[in-house]
Amino acid sequence: MCKPYRYNNLSYTVADDSDVYFTVEYLSDGNSGLTSVDVPGTLDPEIKNAGKVFIGKGKDLRGEATYVSSNIDNKVSQEDEIRVKYLINNEELVEHHNLKSEAERITVILKITFPRP
Amino acid sequence: MKPVILICTLIFSLSLFGQEKLNNLQAPTSPASSILDLQPKVVLSPKTYQTLETALFSSFIQDFRPVIPNDFSLEFTPYWAKNHSLSLEDYLYPKSITDQFVRNLSVSLASTQNFKLGDSAQSNSLAFGWRTTFYFGNKNDREILNDFEKKSDDIRKVYNRITIQAEKTGDAIQEGRSDNDKKASFLLDMKPVIYNTLYRVYNDLDMAEAMTEKILLDCDTLPEIDTEDPFTFIDLFNTIVDRNLRGEVVFNEYKSYIKERQGLSFDLAYAGFLNFPSNKFEYAFMPRQSLWITPSYRFRGDYDFIVISGVLRYDWYHEDYYRKYFPDNIVFKNNLDYGLEIAARFRKISLEFEMAGRTSNSYVLAGVDLQGNDLYRKEHNSDFQYIGSVHYNLTDQIILSYNLGNRFELIQDQNSTLVSLLSLNFGFGAPDKNILDLQYK
Repeated sequence: MCKPYRYNNLSYTVADDSDVYFTVEYLSDGNSGLTSVDVPGTLDPEIKNAGKVFIGKGKDLRGEATYVSSNIDNKVSQEDEIRVKYLINNEELVEHHNLKSEAERITVILKITFPRP
Repeated sequence: MKPVILICTLIFSLSLFGQEKLNNLQAPTSPASSILDLQPKVVLSPKTYQTLETALFSSFIQDFRPVIPNDFSLEFTPYWAKNHSLSLEDYLYPKSITDQFVRNLSVSLASTQNFKLGDSAQSNSLAFGWRTTFYFGNKNDREILNDFEKKSDDIRKVYNRITIQAEKTGDAIQEGRSDNDKKASFLLDMKPVIYNTLYRVYNDLDMAEAMTEKILLDCDTLPEIDTEDPFTFIDLFNTIVDRNLRGEVVFNEYKSYIKERQGLSFDLAYAGFLNFPSNKFEYAFMPRQSLWITPSYRFRGDYDFIVISGVLRYDWYHEDYYRKYFPDNIVFKNNLDYGLEIAARFRKISLEFEMAGRTSNSYVLAGVDLQGNDLYRKEHNSDFQYIGSVHYNLTDQIILSYNLGNRFELIQDQNSTLVSLLSLNFGFGAPDKNILDLQYK
């Protein structure tokens, strides 16, 4: 089973003309996964494993929430946890952590809104 | 050779006297426990430096006094005590031999208060050891891993997109903004999302259509949506999607493959132990040190049931110690064990054939020459054994085994070397043989 972990009500204040970058950072060793970002409009970038993607200008992210689904697993026997950090414009949004005894395959679901300053 | 036919319920035992002969073709998982012949009930495996300190402090300090704990075994993997943000790719393809050595290094510690000397007196012993593995992948291994990675990525792409759409609908239901708050309408709404995502990722119309229908059919068993808590339903829906995508199956296959990759690997291990014959710290010996080098090659494809392993083990014995505390035993200072094992494992039956040899030598004081210099003579001994085994799994817990071959000469009866042993082995959920190296004990 791919255990879901939901982080709702996340928010990042950003100006209309500011570029917004979304980052996935793997903290624990041997993670493997794919993160899909669903922003209002047609731009729906993906991040294989860890990395950073441009998700739009601040004004493009108003109205609807942005959804992120991060499907991650850890197949390394020596590692006992999955620890992942999500950032927007290099600022920490949320850090997820679970022991592998709880779940080795997880889906981290983020619901983010981008209000004006 | 006199035939020895035994029917018993014990695992095949070849324990010899004084110096053990080669009876295990693998470098031990816990070299420290192995060199003491310890089979502890519990092996402590601290994951952090803090838990390591706690384990050592609570075991070696009692009533504020240092002690050698009894039946103690500890395994610690220093690299894995903290996070390094190591990607799976870096883990699978280390850039250097040093990386491999450090990442696979495990340090072991074991001790006992019941180490029996030759006169059966009990003494304290403390063993330490380490073990690491070097792996040399090949083109096939990389292709297999790339194939697993592609399959996993395709599954994740589909799963993520379906999950996001389901989450959006779930939020809308919870906030009373959606008409799809009934199971039937929810599934009707999800149908094009499932189909389009499958087609976009797999580019196969028939497959996309068939799997979409299968997912919707499986959803018949789901309960109605609770509008107060739609995410219980959505989690069940996502589980059905994952099952149809074979997410768990591919994960487990990938994980199993990583544990037993095709190609050549070398296990390198070392262990030594200190014995305190009078149970005083000031009076200690290091009776034995061992070094194992175990190369093995694992086949894949049509021959993936075959494993070939070799072993080279060097044992160094403290002769004066053994002469003093084990006077009845014949001990050589330098001992080299070598062996080869070929194993073919099928679903119910496994066949194994092992050959093992030992060559030992010591220099013994033979007298003094006219100038007063010590004269030595070289003593040498060698032996060889070969044993074939058939194991049949009657059930998961019961294994019927038959061993046939020629074993090392026994000290008591050198003519009795034929082995013909039928055994029935029961498993009761104890630590498995991979942990304790029990398979030949």
